Amino acid sequence: MKLSDRTGILMGWRFLSALIPFLCGFLAVFLSNLPLSLTNGLVPAPLLALVPIYFWTLVRPDLMTPAAVFGIGLFQDIMGGGPPGVWTLSFVVTYAVIERQREAFAGLSGLGAVLGFATAALIASACAYATVALYYWHAPPIAPIVAELVVTVLFYIPGVYVVGVVHRRLVGPLRSDF
Amino acid sequence: MANGTWKIARRGNTQLPLVIVVALAVVLVLLGKAQSDLFDRARTAIIDKMQPLLVAVHAPVSQFDRWLGSANEIFTVYQENLRLKDENARLRQWRNVAVVMQDRVKRYQSLLHAVPDPDIHSVLSQVIGRANRPFLQTMILDAGGTNNVKPGEAVVDARGMIGRIYLTGARTSWVILLTDLNSRIPVTIAPGNHQAIMVGDNTEMPTLDTMSQTVTLHAGDQVVSSGDGGLLPPGLPIGTVVGQAGQYRVALLADGASAQDVEILAFRRPPEELPADVQNQLPAVAAGLKPAAPPLPAPADAPVLPAQAAAAHGTSTKPAAPKVTKPAPDVTAAAQQAAPGTSETPADGADQDR
Repeated sequence: MKLSDRTGILMGWRFLSALIPFLCGFLAVFLSNLPLSLTNGLVPAPLLALVPIYFWTLVRPDLMTPAAVFGIGLFQDIMGGGPPGVWTLSFVVTYAVIERQREAFAGLSGLGAVLGFATAALIASACAYATVALYYWHAPPIAPIVAELVVTVLFYIPGVYVVGVVHRRLVGPLRSDF
Repeated sequence: MANGTWKIARRGNTQLPLVIVVALAVVLVLLGKAQSDLFDRARTAIIDKMQPLLVAVHAPVSQFDRWLGSANEIFTVYQENLRLKDENARLRQWRNVAVVMQDRVKRYQSLLHAVPDPDIHSVLSQVIGRANRPFLQTMILDAGGTNNVKPGEAVVDARGMIGRIYLTGARTSWVILLTDLNSRIPVTIAPGNHQAIMVGDNTEMPTLDTMSQTVTLHAGDQVVSSGDGGLLPPGLPIGTVVGQAGQYRVALLADGASAQDVEILAFRRPPEELPADVQNQLPAVAAGLKPAAPPLPAPADAPVLPAQAAAAHGTSTKPAAPKVTKPAPDVTAAAQQAAPGTSETPADGADQDR
């Protein structure tokens, strides 16, 4: 095999590995916005898309770019309904905070890691709430967004496990030079 | 070493894209506020594509839902059975009353030559999805533009109104529930026929707004759609008034969270046509008021005004005395109905029927 062929294949794999976090975010948005509920609407759907955003912003920020976060947020807005652009803005603002405080967030482990994610989810929820309040020019009830925040944090533990497996099995081997 | 170098290099490069992306997100919010059609079209296109999948998945999910619900009800099944028997007996009595009242209303309508309510066509539809988001409570139906479903139409189940259509795709449509933050419905509260706007706030019971401060409502007062605006048919049952924390709320009859089969009402108010006579009448007469009395002829020794003098000299072609037109019989009848006892004209056709 020629050197140019090997380089081409390597570039292809690298491109694919760069897409995986973005695709995981898309899949998370799709799953959390399926209009089906096993609890008859009692429990709100979690913001699953925050898990891959949070994970890859800390672990491999070069794979979770601002543009990717913008795309995931846009898809969340389209799929989720509600005022357009709210979740795009919330995700991007959350990303900006995580990215700036990356050292602090990345150093957390165990319960601290869950609290770190809870902080990120709180920022996203607060930003969404404030945007909607400005959008409609009156404060919406706070209970639904708090319920969604709690469910999102509860789903972080299984969510981050799945994302970790994807990272180790797919993203890591495809970008073994890092 | 390599990692540290990469981090420092990256931080410098990402600041500009991040600022651009934040700015784009803000623009997106403003754009969405100004023109949300783009998002709506994308949303309906995606859901239309997913419709077969949703229909296929909905059956087992709703079955699981029912099973989950019935698991809790096992312990209360005996009490529930007794309660239902009691309710059934009471409803049978009410049914007899309703049949008698229906006959009576029909008789009155025939006596008054009442114009019958316009026929409301409806489309039966099944709920194939629900979304309970913090800022949106909606359900997705398996009927859309191909079934002539249009935005704004009311969605009801056997108990009452659930919401109204706000987006239609080719094969699916989205319903904005009465409890949603964006829902505003003009309603009438009986007894008293008080007008109000029912406003959803993402809680189970919407609030009643824009009501006169002097109005006092009571728990249990009936709330129905008023039909103002012409989008919803008047008289759709919605719920009952509940006083809660210093404000009036509405306990809804229908439960959007459990409804499975719903009806979409295609109501179109026919355009109002003015009677032919009204075209040639003065506004006061057309409104059913008595025409103004003609001015009395001026006495011979009265001073002559300049305008009358000019008319007498032939400088004006208009007649000096106003021409009095006799009001049409139907308008007189309307005036009689508006103010009974104020007119001495004989009874009109409607009275003769009586």
